[in-house]
Amino acid sequence: MKTEELLINMGPVHPSTHGVLRFKLIMDGEIIKKCDIVMGYLHRGTEKLGEMKTYLQFVPYTDRLDYISAFPNNYAYVKAVEELAGIEVPLRAEYIRVLTLELNRVVNHLVMLGSLLLDLGASTMIMYGFRERENALQLFEMLCGARMTFNYIRPGGVREDLPEGFMPKLNEFIKDMEYRIDDYEQLISGNEIFMMRMKNIGVLSAKEAISYGMTGPSLRGHGVNYDIRKVEPYSVYPDLDFRACVRNECDSFARYMVRIDEMRESLHILRQVVDSMPEGKPTSQAKYGIAPMTGAPTAVSTYFPRIFTPPPGEVYSRIEAPKGELGFYVVSDGTIKPYRIKIRSPSFCNLTAIPKMVEGLMIPDLIAAFGTIDVVLGDVDR
Amino acid sequence: MNPAEEIKQLFPGSVVSTGIQTNKPLAIIKKEDLLIIAEKVKEMGFDNLSLITGIDYRDRFEIIYNFFSYAKKQNLVLKVILDHNNPEIDSLESHWKVADWLERETYDLVGIKFRGHPNLKRILLPDGWIGHPLRKDYDMTVDQFVTIGEDGEDIVSTDGSNLLRR
Repeated sequence: MKTEELLINMGPVHPSTHGVLRFKLIMDGEIIKKCDIVMGYLHRGTEKLGEMKTYLQFVPYTDRLDYISAFPNNYAYVKAVEELAGIEVPLRAEYIRVLTLELNRVVNHLVMLGSLLLDLGASTMIMYGFRERENALQLFEMLCGARMTFNYIRPGGVREDLPEGFMPKLNEFIKDMEYRIDDYEQLISGNEIFMMRMKNIGVLSAKEAISYGMTGPSLRGHGVNYDIRKVEPYSVYPDLDFRACVRNECDSFARYMVRIDEMRESLHILRQVVDSMPEGKPTSQAKYGIAPMTGAPTAVSTYFPRIFTPPPGEVYSRIEAPKGELGFYVVSDGTIKPYRIKIRSPSFCNLTAIPKMVEGLMIPDLIAAFGTIDVVLGDVDR
Repeated sequence: MNPAEEIKQLFPGSVVSTGIQTNKPLAIIKKEDLLIIAEKVKEMGFDNLSLITGIDYRDRFEIIYNFFSYAKKQNLVLKVILDHNNPEIDSLESHWKVADWLERETYDLVGIKFRGHPNLKRILLPDGWIGHPLRKDYDMTVDQFVTIGEDGEDIVSTDGSNLLRR
């Protein structure tokens, strides 16, 4: 029997789109025949703004991209600038950076789990997730005074050294998280309703997932063993012991399990970082390419110069952010401002796969598949 | 062997020059031969197209493609130099699905047209936006106002006098 096709707008304001995103769904009864994605509601022109700021001034703008996990954004941009300018970073700064990155990965996955379960109709997990996230946010607050927009990782190091009493609180957090993750697994992973909602939903073969540009934990749920921390090691990751978490089932459940495994690995990394945190300065003391000073020099600063000029050139540098491959393409023309900044955001590229993934499924399945892709709209629209 | 050199050996006529872009092999190629080279690049195992972007250098445009091979764990950067007056290049959508959105974004913000793209329209900005913001000659002094029309479509105008102001 021939039925009439129906166009349904899901969004832009819908609780399970995690922001402002619109799905234009062409429905045949309850079945999704075609899914179009409309975005741009949160476009702030970050790349254009970058051309008008000095290299240091752009760091706070990166906080606003993926606001759930801002440390990786800071770091990805700073890493690109450091590669461009050839800035050496002290070892202690690198360890502090990895500490924040991994802590942020745990926070990101907690939010992802909470909102995924909430979208599926179970409200317990978001309470649990946000309870633990609060402890981590208090750690961030100790570190830099901010809970979400940190502006902490800077060219040449980090803004300030670890505050007093940070390490004991961090140890407490790690110890606490360990059995909390077991709690979550008991609560969610074996749950029959959850498995029925997740297993064999949003299936995409590994080959297709690669072609659609998926990266990060979402891709590792498709059996591709690719982790930039392993393949193109940066910072102090080569000295740390961890593994890339891979699952082979290619469905939503596999993508969810990768997140659970990754939280455990992140805690494992954090414990090593706590044990081997070296002494030293948190900021490079090098007098790198300082712009000629006008007026009498004031007291000797311990900070890295605020204004510096990298040599002309271009660099593409990427890191393994909690959501996938986060890359910054920075072009310098030898002045104090970048000539062009391009942000390769993981959410944007991962979202490409959704229309293909949900073809022939129902709307509740779209929510399940979309939740496991883990998208933040600030990162998609930039 | 360095994949950029390999391409140069296979297509000596289409590669302008090769080099290194901060640890990644780089090949600057002619724009007419992009599709043939892209096919070869895919055959060589570069299955991940991780970045497409365009840069406005005032006298020319440069398009950068960043490839990565999951099997060989290798990088490759392709660069194409385009004329500033009518920047147009072939689309890679048929080889890498992710190119669909990356090319739309480049079209939207930089204003480079992709020949053979199935759905080349603006992605981040509303339809009808005037100019391409990441061009260096983009006029930032003109305010543009977006309203919603009868059928839900975006209407862009530079006249905001009849809009409600708080």
